[in-house]
Amino acid sequence: MTRSSLVPIILAILAIAVSLMLGRYGAYLTHVVAIAAIGAMSLNLLNGWCGQINFAQAALLGVGAYTAGNCGNAGWDVFSLLAAGIASALAAVLIGLPALRLRGLYFAIATLAAQFIFEYLFKFAEPITHGVSGLLIQPMKLLGRVIDTDQGYAVLAICLLLLTWLFMTWIRRTDLGRAFLVVRENEVVARGMGINVPQTKMWAFLISGFFAGIAGGLMGFTDRLAHPEAFGMGLSVDYIAMIIVGGLGSLPGSLLGAAFVSLLPEAIQRFGEAFNMADQLSAFREMAFGLLIILFLIFEPRGLSAILGKTNVQRMMARFARRPTNPVRDQAKNQPKWRSVE
Amino acid sequence: MALRVRDLSLRFGGVLAVDSMSIDVAPGEIVGLIGPNGAGKTTFINCVSGNYRADAGATEWHGESLFGKRPHEIIRRGVVRTFQNVASLHDLTVLDVVKLGAMMATDVGLGERLSAMLRSEQARNALLTETILRPLRLADVADHPLQSLSYGLRKAVDLARALAAHPRLLLLDEPVAGLTSQEGAVMSQAIRDARDRLGCSVVMVEHKMDVVNATCDRIVVMAAGAKIFEGTAAQVQVDPEVRRVYLGEP
Amino acid sequence: MTFYLQLAVAGIAVGSVYALIAIGIVLIYKCSGVVNFAQGAFVMLGAYFTYALTRLGLAPVAAVLGAMLAMALVGMLTERLVLRPMMKAPVVAIMAVTLGILILTRAVCLAIWGPDQIAFPKLFPDGAVNIFDVFITYNYLAAALLSVCLSLAFLAFYQFTAIGLKQRCAADNTRAALAIGIHTGNQNSLAWSMSAALAGLGGTLLATLNGLSLGLSDIGLVAFPVIVLGGLTSLSGAVVAGLLLGVLQAFTDGILTPWFETFLRAYTRIYSAGALQQVVPYMILVFVLLVRPQGIFGRRGTERL
Repeated sequence: MTRSSLVPIILAILAIAVSLMLGRYGAYLTHVVAIAAIGAMSLNLLNGWCGQINFAQAALLGVGAYTAGNCGNAGWDVFSLLAAGIASALAAVLIGLPALRLRGLYFAIATLAAQFIFEYLFKFAEPITHGVSGLLIQPMKLLGRVIDTDQGYAVLAICLLLLTWLFMTWIRRTDLGRAFLVVRENEVVARGMGINVPQTKMWAFLISGFFAGIAGGLMGFTDRLAHPEAFGMGLSVDYIAMIIVGGLGSLPGSLLGAAFVSLLPEAIQRFGEAFNMADQLSAFREMAFGLLIILFLIFEPRGLSAILGKTNVQRMMARFARRPTNPVRDQAKNQPKWRSVE
Repeated sequence: MALRVRDLSLRFGGVLAVDSMSIDVAPGEIVGLIGPNGAGKTTFINCVSGNYRADAGATEWHGESLFGKRPHEIIRRGVVRTFQNVASLHDLTVLDVVKLGAMMATDVGLGERLSAMLRSEQARNALLTETILRPLRLADVADHPLQSLSYGLRKAVDLARALAAHPRLLLLDEPVAGLTSQEGAVMSQAIRDARDRLGCSVVMVEHKMDVVNATCDRIVVMAAGAKIFEGTAAQVQVDPEVRRVYLGEP
Repeated sequence: MTFYLQLAVAGIAVGSVYALIAIGIVLIYKCSGVVNFAQGAFVMLGAYFTYALTRLGLAPVAAVLGAMLAMALVGMLTERLVLRPMMKAPVVAIMAVTLGILILTRAVCLAIWGPDQIAFPKLFPDGAVNIFDVFITYNYLAAALLSVCLSLAFLAFYQFTAIGLKQRCAADNTRAALAIGIHTGNQNSLAWSMSAALAGLGGTLLATLNGLSLGLSDIGLVAFPVIVLGGLTSLSGAVVAGLLLGVLQAFTDGILTPWFETFLRAYTRIYSAGALQQVVPYMILVFVLLVRPQGIFGRRGTERL
């Protein structure tokens, strides 16, 4: 186990080093991507691995942000993030309860309803959330020191991302992780095999919610503000796009998707500024976003992780070293794009 | 008696699928459940395993009632089943599926569980491969995805999954259907081995009479949801009611 | 008493438009099993098309019809170009692709017409009728009548015509329909076109009531609680649920919200109940689903082992 976790640890150290050298804007982009990646991995566990659709991811992030903000302002330091995780985990379980009785589409729409209800609550529960004007959040304190630079948050975000990655990789190899996959594929078979399906789904919601809360808490600290509009339906769609574009069910895919969806607006911004198209920018950005989702789903539904995937890299390396590839493994990976859903 | 089922009935709308079915299974006994298509054999198995909820009747396993319990509760009591249609489960490998079965085993003590967690993944894989996969000729495909295997191999994997759960009662739903006679012979031997090694009872729904005769100690015949005969293989072949139902003799 | 009647009338008017939009979603779902999250975008696009056509000089009636035709084309193209290649994809992916269409359509409208609210041309004369002391503007009256008539006509079409029969066959069992010679692909395209046209009309009517802006696409999302309440597979259920929800919203706005606000101000520091009537459909949705997972008119699915 320790051998395969060496690579992520080394990559994380490299990422930290790079972000410290990049200056403010680079560090800013780094923590935006890292935080989005934590959120994307949480959604990936719930949706990519356990097959539970969730339109309320933004609501969970919001719960995390508001919780972390209130706890942070009250002086809880780094424990605010823990509180955020727990609060979002509880909210996720609440949202997931209807999942136990509802199937597929009905459940998806129920999560849609949950998203809107939470949005309303964010605006409505003024004593806690300060309503539409938003909750001002003080910078986080870690071990007595205040973190108020982009570099500081970048380092923090990367560390938490690493922990999230290691945890997710571990879960995937446990009985619970395997149970997730079977529940996703076929609930009837899962039940027949003796898996307690409702319990498995609840665990998926709980764990997913916890990490969504951490991501949300980090969002709150880095934005210095939590307000209802930041946690609307659009953000939920962003996260769904991240895991689809990255590749459903793939951990590196969640990272790639998060990077893609987060950096795209920035890239278009720079592009637009270069060509002086400032007023058309937000429309153009949305158009590119919508078009990319559609194109990815039609042409490469397994996402970026498949395009940059292991088999392709292995095949390239094998060709380079003139080693024979493993035909059985390749055959399994080369299944037709969309298998019949029987 | 390990398993006692009394007067189990299940109706689907206007169709009486299982009609007051009763069966006794002794510990270590292999019982074959045969009958024409639509006789209700699989439905009966579904009722016992908890996948369907019977309308009436009693199911007793070692004195404890199984009626109304959910599949995961029944499996935890050592009653494990296999399936007729083995679904492909995305990219899960053979070992993944077997481990899923192993996680249902309830006779594993706490000490053994802790030491299993400390053992490396490779050691665990090797142990499962040797004890469960090799007797079923699956050792070579241990890390292949389920989807890449032939139907016959997938059924063998399903049996492996069931055996990994250390069952005390195995409910097999057409274990050799769709298999070549060679694969069927391997399956039949594996079932007998499991009974000899684990001491479990087996109820086996099957159509292939040669396999039933070779594997089972006793045969129960169902038709139109009800039991019409039970006895040894020789007795079944000459019973007039069975012949009428199967061969259409008056 | 008149107050309640007034609320009920307003609710029925808006609710009938919801019903129209919801029928479209149910139609597509029955035909191909796809939940069209882009329906809200079609609602919005239809209104913008009507606006653009009146700006080009067409008379109101012609503009509305033209917009509906344009939407039918948009629906058909969406089915052919985007949904056809994804026929075997898992549910999540198809939902996501319709979301992609929603995003893309919003962006295109944003680029062409800008983010601000636009004054929608008057399609109906000013003034109101007075029935039993209840004032109903011609606008509300026309919206309600048009929606109800069109919904009923559509239900009749679906139930009694040959093409409706083909739609029902394709909806019931795609393979069987193919086996007897029905071109399910064409039926799908037809379902999408009709659905988009209905959505477009709904959007136009909503725009006459609330003005024209990008926010119309959000109203499309209210159609989802409607169809879930009505049962995802029932057209008449969609109509009933739409009307019900419209009335509930009106009553929430007129009665529940003021009462709730007085309550809040008396006992808590919260000053406003916010847009309660917008979130009430969703709360009802969750409640109904918890009690009756298949909706009010839906049928319980069964599984074969």
